[in-house]
Amino acid sequence: MKKIIAREKLPELWAHLSEQGPLFLPIQDGPVVLFQPWFEGAEINLDAVNSAVSPKDLFLPREETFMHYRCSGKQLEMTPVEPGEPVTAFGVHPCDLKAIELLDRVFLGQEPPDALYQQRRENTTVIALSCSAADPFCFCGDFGVDPADAPGADIMAHLSDDSMLFESRTEKGAALLEQAGDLLADAPEETFSREAVQTADFNLQLEGLAENLKDRFDDPAWDQLYKSCLGCGVCTYVCPTCYCFDVEDFGHEAEGERFRCWDSCMYGHFTEMAGGHNPRPERKERVRQRFLHKLQYYPEIHDEIACVGCGRCLRSCPVNLDIVQAIKALGGEKIEKR
Amino acid sequence: MAEHNLEQIEKIREAVKQDLLGGRIDLLLGWEKGHYWWQSRPLFAQSEEDLEKLAWDSFCAVNLSRYLLEELKEHNKVGVLVKGCDARAFNRLLQDNMVPRDRVILYGLPCPGMLDYDRLAAEAGSVLLSITEENGQVVLITAEGEAKADRDEMLLDKCRGCIYPDPAVYDQMLLPPQGEKESPERFKKVEELEAMSAQERFAYWEKELSRCLRCYACRQACPYCSCRECFVEQENPRWQGRAYQPSENFMFHLIRAYHGAGRCIDCGECERSCPVGISLQELNRKLIKDINELYGDYEAGLDAELEPPLLTYRPDDPAAFSEK
Amino acid sequence: MKSANLLMPHMATILDITEETPDIKTLRVVGKEGLPFDFMPGQCAMLSVPPVGEAIFSITSSPTCRECLEFSIKDVGSVSGALHCLVPGQQIGIRGPYGNGFPVDEMKGKDLLFIGGGIGLAPLRSLIGYCFDHRQDFGHIDIVYGARSPADMIRKSEVRETWREQPDTSVYLTVDAEFPDWDGNVGFVPNYVSELAFTPENRIAITCGPPIMIKFVLQALDKLQFSPEQVITTLEMRMKCGVGKCGRCNLGPVYVCKDGPVFSLAELNELPAEY
Repeated sequence: MKKIIAREKLPELWAHLSEQGPLFLPIQDGPVVLFQPWFEGAEINLDAVNSAVSPKDLFLPREETFMHYRCSGKQLEMTPVEPGEPVTAFGVHPCDLKAIELLDRVFLGQEPPDALYQQRRENTTVIALSCSAADPFCFCGDFGVDPADAPGADIMAHLSDDSMLFESRTEKGAALLEQAGDLLADAPEETFSREAVQTADFNLQLEGLAENLKDRFDDPAWDQLYKSCLGCGVCTYVCPTCYCFDVEDFGHEAEGERFRCWDSCMYGHFTEMAGGHNPRPERKERVRQRFLHKLQYYPEIHDEIACVGCGRCLRSCPVNLDIVQAIKALGGEKIEKR
Repeated sequence: MAEHNLEQIEKIREAVKQDLLGGRIDLLLGWEKGHYWWQSRPLFAQSEEDLEKLAWDSFCAVNLSRYLLEELKEHNKVGVLVKGCDARAFNRLLQDNMVPRDRVILYGLPCPGMLDYDRLAAEAGSVLLSITEENGQVVLITAEGEAKADRDEMLLDKCRGCIYPDPAVYDQMLLPPQGEKESPERFKKVEELEAMSAQERFAYWEKELSRCLRCYACRQACPYCSCRECFVEQENPRWQGRAYQPSENFMFHLIRAYHGAGRCIDCGECERSCPVGISLQELNRKLIKDINELYGDYEAGLDAELEPPLLTYRPDDPAAFSEK
Repeated sequence: MKSANLLMPHMATILDITEETPDIKTLRVVGKEGLPFDFMPGQCAMLSVPPVGEAIFSITSSPTCRECLEFSIKDVGSVSGALHCLVPGQQIGIRGPYGNGFPVDEMKGKDLLFIGGGIGLAPLRSLIGYCFDHRQDFGHIDIVYGARSPADMIRKSEVRETWREQPDTSVYLTVDAEFPDWDGNVGFVPNYVSELAFTPENRIAITCGPPIMIKFVLQALDKLQFSPEQVITTLEMRMKCGVGKCGRCNLGPVYVCKDGPVFSLAELNELPAEY
């Protein structure tokens, strides 16, 4: 099913969609763009190449309460909290959706499946948006992502100067388009022709990289690579494929809640055991863990590199230590043939 | 790259090369280019070959002094290139007894103010290929041609309020200093916030901090955050929870800011490092302004001999908290 | 199909608490109806005490014990500290079992050498109990157990009396230094293992204890000609989910919470030594 809407009518569509349930879309918040629930007067930014933080938040929230507890005397009462109502994600770029599919393999594909994630995934209708532009950090081309198409979307959307075109890909997507009624016009023949988006070419050689890395755990390259790392968690938190989490309680003795929240392998306490022993005590081990997880460990289990080339770590690392630098330092750079 | 800039780099390289190869220092902390001309990353140079990568241009924002904490564990003598803020950061660490003065050689560089690529790219409109600089202007070069922009307008936020672009402390100045700058706007945003009602101000900070991911980039980049164990990570008692609640957000940022009261050198690395653009520098500047008003002008990091006002007591100190 | 939330604990009640040593207590725990779940020796469970949180502990009782689960817990962290403050009858959260457990089928017909140090006896005890209850499946059983002092030994009556009375079983106890009224061996566990000169023929060694002890025990066993395949250990890591998703307990591509915590030395030799 194909539908079209004039660009100036989009706010009406958003208002309509948000009546059905929370509608998440790229909203300008201060100097950055973030996926947030739509509200009257929100400044929607569909032209942003990438949100500052990936929309993985919709499926693996940075914080998600899943249990309430009450204690009185010796009694403990624990009540599950179910993930909320169905939501719509509007304007997810192909790289970010590809990243969600990589997370699916961990949270759905790998036994046992994760119910919280599963419910959010099933409850979300994803309207993907093809990219009209790339910035110098976008290198999704290296990971088989097509900036013009997101195969996993419920609806694929394309934006032009004056209109937006929707094409349903799943029943869930078709139902959403149907449901929008007169707000959308039929567009059976409509297609947008435009120039292909040019992504950055960092001259990476990714084929065989995971295999080669098996012998590089003790490579001297690590001794240099980690040095500039500040030990903050920026790269892990903005990354669409980082999924490490923590589980904690918030409350007091009588009542409170238990939540899961993002955590980062770049933090020392991530692996520090009660009693003080830490298997990854220094930045070197932590930097190595993060890059090897993406480039070797994940591929060993799931047959694909856990990076989609969204460029967020290149954009956000305060000291410009990013995955491209790591790949190059570890033998993943193409050697020019003369 | 402009001739002038290449000359500068050559001069810097020659100076540090002698010391590195002659054994006066075991390591030089400098900058090298990243993937693009507008990116720089820290360089850890130990050889002549490493020094070939040395860069010095309008994109060397990363404050290098903090790396001394780690590198001095491994190396006996470390040389470090310092801009105005890097030098104040060094004094900060010195005052906190985190670095031994006699194991560090500071090579001073006058800082022209670092440029903000996002601003340049936005100003250029189309794909920005490169820039040149002349007479306080930046020439933006795109496929379509050239355009000029006022250099001051293209600075990183953190460099806009800078008064002391020259290093306050150094062993050797590598390029001629450029003198103090006027910065009428340094406290402008703070004054705007002060003019708000308490409710408005709370709402402002609640919204700003609601973006906080608790990635701790601000803390990790900060020269005053040199505690071996931060209160955030302390387990017993547990001060800082991980919930993304306003109370937890305020807890982290306010405790951190107050720990920096009178110690913050206003380098703005916190705000530059923040991936979600929280105006952290204003929080620190508010405290700088308050301290200046309460205890007389004090510029953290300018003079390592001068004790921070909150670490000293004088009988005539104002008892501001009890008066209000 | 809707799956259950993996992170949601079940209710359990503390039956009683025994003080083993000055800093180790054993908690006996039951679910709503008997055992909270079935498990194999070497598996672990998450115990939770709101609002302090959750932590993973090895189950020290044998699966053949159908009355309750037992946990011997050393007071080293926030959750273990909170568990130490509880009283019988208190309800807590529990979820599990997690991990692979000991390869009991591969051990059948073999002589077993258990080498434990301090609180490291806790996971071994589950297997020891299991072996005693399936005595005909296993050959001779040797148990070497050491602690800093006699007072620091856990399960004192078992290690000193009950286990010695089991058929075809030898128990060797050692402490780090001389103590009054101590008539057992004095010396570190690895040295004692060397002195006892166990032979590797048809024997599997299972060891657990502080990392420094394990390191030297492995060297001692190597000297005694045990092959890496014959040496089994169980690892302890910080864990939050128990099912290989939260990302912190991996050794390379292997997650200790689900692929471990029990590994043969041969398996560990193939993995990054980040434990």
